[in-house]
Amino acid sequence: MMEERLRRNILLKILNFKLKIMSSIQDFTGYSPTWCSGCGDHGIGIAIKQALVQMNLTPSDLAVVFGIGCSGNMNDFLNAYAIHSLHGRALPNAIGIKLTNHRLPVIAVVGDGDCYGEGGNHFIHACRGNHDIKVLVHDNGVYGLTTGQSAPTAKQGYKSKSTPSGIIEIPINPLTLAISSGATFVAQSFAGDPAHMIQTIKAAMNHKGFALVNVLQPCVTFNKINTYQYYLQRVYKLGGDYKKDDFESAMIKSLEVNKEKFPLGIIYQVQKLSYHDHLPQIKSEALVAKNRFIEFDKITKDFI
Amino acid sequence: MDITWKIGGEAGFGIMTTGLAFSKIVSRLGYQIFDYVEYPSLIRGGHNAYEVHVSHENVSHLKPEVDVLVCLNKETYTKHQSSLTKKSYVIYDEQEFTVDGDFVKINVPFKKILADLKGQMIMKNTIALGASLSVLGAEIDELIKILEDQFSKKGEAIVNFNKNFANAGYDHIKNNYSKKVLKFLTKRESSPSLVMTGNDAFSLGSVIADSRFYCAYPMTPSSTILTTMASWAEKVGLVVRHAEDEIAAINTAIGASFTGVRASVGTSGGGFALMVESLSFAGVTEIPIVVFIAQRPGPATGMPTWTEQGDLLFAVHAGHGEFQKIVLSASDIEEMIEVTAEAYNLAEVYQMPVIVMSDMYLSEGHKSITKKFIDDFITNYKVNHGKLLKEITNGKSQITNEDQNSNNKTKNYLRYKITEDGVSPRLIPGTPGHYYQANSYEHLEDGHTTEEAQPRLNQVNKRARKWDTYLKIDFKPPKVYGDLDKAEVVFVSWGSNKGAVIEAQKQLKDKTNTAFINFTHLYPLNKKIILPFFKENKKYILVENNSWGQFGKLLLQETGIEIKEKILRYDGRTITPEYIIKNFKF
Repeated sequence: MMEERLRRNILLKILNFKLKIMSSIQDFTGYSPTWCSGCGDHGIGIAIKQALVQMNLTPSDLAVVFGIGCSGNMNDFLNAYAIHSLHGRALPNAIGIKLTNHRLPVIAVVGDGDCYGEGGNHFIHACRGNHDIKVLVHDNGVYGLTTGQSAPTAKQGYKSKSTPSGIIEIPINPLTLAISSGATFVAQSFAGDPAHMIQTIKAAMNHKGFALVNVLQPCVTFNKINTYQYYLQRVYKLGGDYKKDDFESAMIKSLEVNKEKFPLGIIYQVQKLSYHDHLPQIKSEALVAKNRFIEFDKITKDFI
Repeated sequence: MDITWKIGGEAGFGIMTTGLAFSKIVSRLGYQIFDYVEYPSLIRGGHNAYEVHVSHENVSHLKPEVDVLVCLNKETYTKHQSSLTKKSYVIYDEQEFTVDGDFVKINVPFKKILADLKGQMIMKNTIALGASLSVLGAEIDELIKILEDQFSKKGEAIVNFNKNFANAGYDHIKNNYSKKVLKFLTKRESSPSLVMTGNDAFSLGSVIADSRFYCAYPMTPSSTILTTMASWAEKVGLVVRHAEDEIAAINTAIGASFTGVRASVGTSGGGFALMVESLSFAGVTEIPIVVFIAQRPGPATGMPTWTEQGDLLFAVHAGHGEFQKIVLSASDIEEMIEVTAEAYNLAEVYQMPVIVMSDMYLSEGHKSITKKFIDDFITNYKVNHGKLLKEITNGKSQITNEDQNSNNKTKNYLRYKITEDGVSPRLIPGTPGHYYQANSYEHLEDGHTTEEAQPRLNQVNKRARKWDTYLKIDFKPPKVYGDLDKAEVVFVSWGSNKGAVIEAQKQLKDKTNTAFINFTHLYPLNKKIILPFFKENKKYILVENNSWGQFGKLLLQETGIEIKEKILRYDGRTITPEYIIKNFKF
């Protein structure tokens, strides 16, 4: 009798252990995606789930903040503790989560209009702070959800409904912007290369500090220029000899994007303290887990 | 007896610090104070004035006459001579400028003392404090203690150097004007008091309420909350972020609140305008957030360092779409602590934005508050997390048995569950075995996006029921000062006008019987509770620091009550008892 109970307990423990460390794609799978057939977002969605499974995370172990756009619509397709934010505001939400519960990995899933347009100021300052959030940008050069107006990364001269004579502005270069603003991990990937995306997302997740993964993502419905074919002819993977910790060579490498050459891989990575690492008050435990402060005389004495 | 001391000088030369030091000294001597700063939106070159109303009793208004005017420059005299009486004392330096009028002239040779002791311009203030205390019949000890505290880190030599200026001012009066010395500020026994601004009170109230996260972008007159909270961060265990703009400020705080931490933001009208989009976001995601607004005269940049109550209707109607919020206001420092701590409870219990209204006058003026009031409040205050599924000690949520027994472990928790009171249980992210999304789109009970008609109706109605529950349980009726039944005249107001109205009531005592209805819970309003305060055959007068009579409009909109007589002020200055009496039509 005793033995049987003991055996059962051990079995349960093993099962629990396995349950804890083994998550599956299915665990992360919510509603079926509503993205257009052939959209690069399908590949990104699968790569994110695969990366999380490979990292032994469960949907309860992380927080994801989604922006507004086709990319942000992943909110219903990916299971996790999540905020489906406002257009442009995902990054400050993500920062708030990280600062109050830095034990949770925090991902922001955003689009190029979302992150480099509406939320451009937040992006710069999130880089500056080296906030420990992972920003995955679906970069397709257009506003898909509002039917194809040009986005900040669209090539100069790109014709869209909002720029019928071609866009006058030059495109944002997300890579140089991030590197020069203080991001400590800057990578580029391509929605047509799932294996590369999984590897890059995992590297971003493992990085301590602000990480940008700019994913080149064809919009099959509205963007007839930046297609899979377009990218397949212009992307290339960084070689093993590429020195990713050198600021100047990373800037030069990033500038290739302006000449329509797209390096894939980790373009820049350095180790620096994250914003929350600078806060002694949350060194031993997360802000949410701390006990309530009750020594009020310590602060009221300043007013006497 | 009470007295007003005022010091003026060029901006950038320590007038603010000197005024506050005077307030603290007087408070330590056992007197109550109320002070106010006038300053332009400049760092250098303008005129600053700091006015302290000192009394034996609790005081929360300014009086028109200045009893001691310290003129560190000629402009102070020119600007403020109209508030002098025959009995007023004017402290000035004959070597720098002359004054001409029927009042008591006290010549203090600031320039000579500075030259003799080899001091810098800023030490004029220390001389002025010494001379002021001497004129008012106080001992110099408390001033010396303040200098010791301020300079002890820099060594004894520096402390003694500064003491010399205090003594020089003090002794000059004793030696030359001994017969004119007033016997006002003799040390008296009283319970210990603190000297705080409305912004300080919001900061302290936040800590009492266990708020741990504050995020802001500096904007006068709310900025001192950011600096105070930042100075406390390590000691108290707060995280304070100075964000890139107000949009980021509120969104960072919303992210923080999502994790289960109490969070707030503070700003003024223009900064709040930037936050409004996300107020609606907090409304639909039902993430608690406290928003502090210190009003200043608008529109646009307006008059940044002056006061007004011009943002009430903006706050009440802020945000796109229909969502629930609560708007509260405080009328003085004590009430600011109470209302602030209550705001955090309401935000969490009802899972909605709660706005706390202040204005420059309340936010930046100091008032005495007894230590006992604060201690008692702390003892009686209970942090109420509402329907938060969380064990406070370890930051992990606890799921109910019902949820645990459910077969499908990931689908049982419904963040936006339809409930009778409209409030759904809230789960802390990171809790094992569960997940949910806080969705800015309209959503199903489990948080997933929906565009279907019935679930939309269900959620709109659920959120609406939160207001019904609030109005039933937590709405507080206005406070009445005076006897409403006997009163012929009834003032109606909100916010920082309270002190002036109560003083006006005292001054009108011989002429007419008055009462005063003061609102703190401004929106939504409970019509049933409010109607009995408005009776036939009484003259109701609305008192507001704006030009529209905004609370009057709100009262009419929400209850049908229309107050026709109004005393309004919108020149950037606060409502004073004299202003009320001058504009009062019998």
